[in-house]
Amino acid sequence: MSDKKEHIIYDQDGKPGNDRPWIFRTYAGHTNVRASNELYRSNLAKGQTGLSIAFDLATQCGYSSDEDIARPEIGKVGVPINTLDDFAILFDQMAMDEINTSMTINGTSMWLLSLYIALAEERGIDLAKLQGTTQNDLIKEFLARGTYVFPPDQSIKLIVDMYEYCLNNIPKWNPSNVCSYHLQEAGATPVQELAYSLVTAITVLDAIKERNCFSEEDFERCVGRVSFFVNAGMRFVEEMCKMRAFTELWDEICQQRYGVKNAKYRRFRYGVQVNSLGLTEEQPENNAWRILIEALGVTLSRNARCRALQLPAWNEALSLPRPWDQQWSLRLQQILAYETDLLEYPDLFDGSLVVESKVNDLKTKAKAEIQKILDAGGGVEAIKTGYMKSQLVISQSERMAKINTGEQIVVGKNRWADGIASPLLDAADGGVFKVDPDSAAETINALLETKAKRDNSKVEACLKQLMDDAKAGKNLMAASIACAHARVSTGEWSATLREVYGEYRPPTGVEGQTLSLENDKLQTVREKVAKFMDQFGHRPRIVVGKPGLDGHSNGAEMISVAARHAGFDVIYFGIRLSAVDIVQSAIEEDVDVIGISLLSGSHNEIIEQLMQELDKEGAKEAIPVMLGGIIPQADIPELHQKGIRQVFTPKDYDLMDIMNTIMDIVMENKQRNA
Amino acid sequence: MGDQAQTKPLEQAWVEKLTQARSLKKWPLAKLISLFESKLPESATTRQAIHHHIRNNPDQFSRQATILGFTGTPGAGKSSLIAELCRRLLAMDTHITIAVLAIDPSSQVSGGSILGDRTRMHYGKKEERLFFRSQASNLELGGVTEATFQACRVLRHLFDFIIIETVGIGQNEIDIQYMTDHTFLVMQPLAGDQIQFMKCGIMEIPDSFIVNKCDEEKLARSSYHMLRSSLKQAKLVDLHADDDYKQSAKDHIFLTSALKGKGIDELANHVLATNPIRPWQQAETFYLKKSIQRRYGEFGLALITNLENTQHEQDGVYSYEEQERLALELIQSHLK
Repeated sequence: MSDKKEHIIYDQDGKPGNDRPWIFRTYAGHTNVRASNELYRSNLAKGQTGLSIAFDLATQCGYSSDEDIARPEIGKVGVPINTLDDFAILFDQMAMDEINTSMTINGTSMWLLSLYIALAEERGIDLAKLQGTTQNDLIKEFLARGTYVFPPDQSIKLIVDMYEYCLNNIPKWNPSNVCSYHLQEAGATPVQELAYSLVTAITVLDAIKERNCFSEEDFERCVGRVSFFVNAGMRFVEEMCKMRAFTELWDEICQQRYGVKNAKYRRFRYGVQVNSLGLTEEQPENNAWRILIEALGVTLSRNARCRALQLPAWNEALSLPRPWDQQWSLRLQQILAYETDLLEYPDLFDGSLVVESKVNDLKTKAKAEIQKILDAGGGVEAIKTGYMKSQLVISQSERMAKINTGEQIVVGKNRWADGIASPLLDAADGGVFKVDPDSAAETINALLETKAKRDNSKVEACLKQLMDDAKAGKNLMAASIACAHARVSTGEWSATLREVYGEYRPPTGVEGQTLSLENDKLQTVREKVAKFMDQFGHRPRIVVGKPGLDGHSNGAEMISVAARHAGFDVIYFGIRLSAVDIVQSAIEEDVDVIGISLLSGSHNEIIEQLMQELDKEGAKEAIPVMLGGIIPQADIPELHQKGIRQVFTPKDYDLMDIMNTIMDIVMENKQRNA
Repeated sequence: MGDQAQTKPLEQAWVEKLTQARSLKKWPLAKLISLFESKLPESATTRQAIHHHIRNNPDQFSRQATILGFTGTPGAGKSSLIAELCRRLLAMDTHITIAVLAIDPSSQVSGGSILGDRTRMHYGKKEERLFFRSQASNLELGGVTEATFQACRVLRHLFDFIIIETVGIGQNEIDIQYMTDHTFLVMQPLAGDQIQFMKCGIMEIPDSFIVNKCDEEKLARSSYHMLRSSLKQAKLVDLHADDDYKQSAKDHIFLTSALKGKGIDELANHVLATNPIRPWQQAETFYLKKSIQRRYGEFGLALITNLENTQHEQDGVYSYEEQERLALELIQSHLK
């Protein structure tokens, strides 16, 4: 065997060979079940090897499409699912026993898994053959993504229910997927990403252990089901080291904390979506290179290579991607896996002193942070106290400050910003994706039809069982699957459990945060504030909030912190607000300006509602409205027409520039109305 | 009658706002509060006119609000508790009206603030009988601000209840007592802070104690006994003889869980049975003194700023006593 070469991969029998590629996925779903089904089937035909389902925000937050709060969101960021009848169409002509289905679903993940199981049962498919993942990481929802439904303790209980059910019934299913992806999007440094996601995994496993529902062997298998969903940014060498650190730390935790003997169950299994945060609205074509480089970070090192990869599209800072944009990203994966020699070699970095030192550094720092959180009571406690959230906000504002000062170079944004305009944006659709606003009717009609056809006494009985089981603290999978069969709707399932568990608002990211930003622009805006106070006898007042169901609150939080730094009194109102909530708050608080943030693509519908409400109160002229978020340029004229005074998009990244603009508009408006 | 002669008649626009505010129209109400918060000299003149208008039309402004204070450490869940309490009060009595004033701290650096109490307070629809206003502490100590006092001056003629949520920083939150008819101290279960509070002034302020976040019954029970024994030891309140925790309301101890909606009914019943008892004059006297103290403090500090600079140049030459004498002399000379 001495003729073995270090640069060749040998299998167990000593035969040389290549690795198989990772699973290619595209995060997709939009409009309605019919359109999404067509998209999935065409993606699979293009060589995609796994499904990654995006659900719309109403489905994620536990509302049916016929509820008021759901309407503006139907089919926007994903597919709307109301009942089992919708699922039957979504998976039409797809072999559920062959495909691997990943669902990005959290607050309502037990419900969506129940629908998947009920559909398989109706089709007579052996449940043991179902493969896939429900994302089901509520800690990161409280920290960054905002689609939680129930309070933290009950959310963890539902996760444990699913592990208990899945291990015994659908053993190839990953009941939850610990996400560091969204932490990085919210500003996490590599150390924070490592620490907070490992704390999340520990929180879930500790809760499972506490329930004591598994034998020792089964618990080992259960640890083996924990998978991860990781982010990868532009610093791709560090990111590669982070993946190696993850692998090693997870192995240590599994051995030391949980005593897992079988190495197979200690393996760090992870999928990746690479970073969207660093993608720019300016010169968007540059993002194609960024995505490629980010993909290298998670594929180069064989020992820490991802199992599944999904890539964003080059235009994600502009709008939701079109099918073509996603196809372009899929091609990148195929070229990397099949045209290059990447899969022919063993790990390229074993033995590298540089990599080893970097990995150890990350590990040491992450371990210290993990211990700090565990000492303070663990993951759920760190949500309730807001500790992790506050740390993320600090990191995010530091990152923003570095881009502001030019310390961190972003090509095309704060350096070499002049260039030839991109011809990619010249297509008839403006290079962006739009959901047909009439398509929502099909979804609502299907729901009404199902409601008319179903046996309502059975529905009531199933919901009562669900409520009784919830009150009794039983495992809720059986009752949920029965609800799915009975054609209970997403809204009904969630409302029943909300009644038992209550609703929860986690600490926001604005508490106790400061911005250490001192520059000329800050001086200018503070002078404007002082002038305003002399003239009007109070500080300028702004209400900041997010209407609709989109929970990505980082932007709104950054604006709030910046406004306070400029000298505003900021009424921070948080997320999931109705148009009435926002207008009432603006009136009661007698604010000088309203600031709202929207990233879900539902701005046209929501702004329409908001401006009508403001008009009804006779305040449309008196209170200017500012909008920030992912807003396609093509939509801006219409938004102005509806009465929005200013639109800020990701290219407006200098917070004090934004504050100056707001202050000018406030002053001008106030004088005009005086 | 005093200053009646110098009072300008109230402008018609404000008379109309007052009329609309009586039927709880929100924007006129908000504008009235802003006027009472305002730092402009001309606003004071209008406030005075409004004061006289209200006094001269007692039949129109016959309401007299019960003012309730909620104080306590950060993290005790005051905002969620107040949100839940308001929900319950509005449902229990379909006529009562409530104004909430919630105070959050201002930044030492910029003077601006982030007022986040509203995040706990949205109902998704219009609530006609509830009015919520956030206020910044403006770096004033004492847990409430002059603006809170000012807002109460007008709100107390328009609502049945005013609920004030203090900043929640800690031991010096005692100003609230001069304004309220009943003050609640909100605590976390078994946080140990009950005992700590014994040592400081705040424990002598509250009329009632609320242990919030009693999500489990066991927690409620043990918290009750712990608090009760602390109170007994400190002889701060007259305790009911029976120490059954289900009777805790008799001792003015409330065990609540805003999350699970527990204990809120008992608290709401207690609130509904509370009447205005404190003469408003007490609040005015206290805030007048406070205002004088602040203004003359600021006046004095502004005068000695120059003095500080010259002394700084001669570091070490002047003793502390010398500096004090010079400062007082300077202030004296400006007071003549």
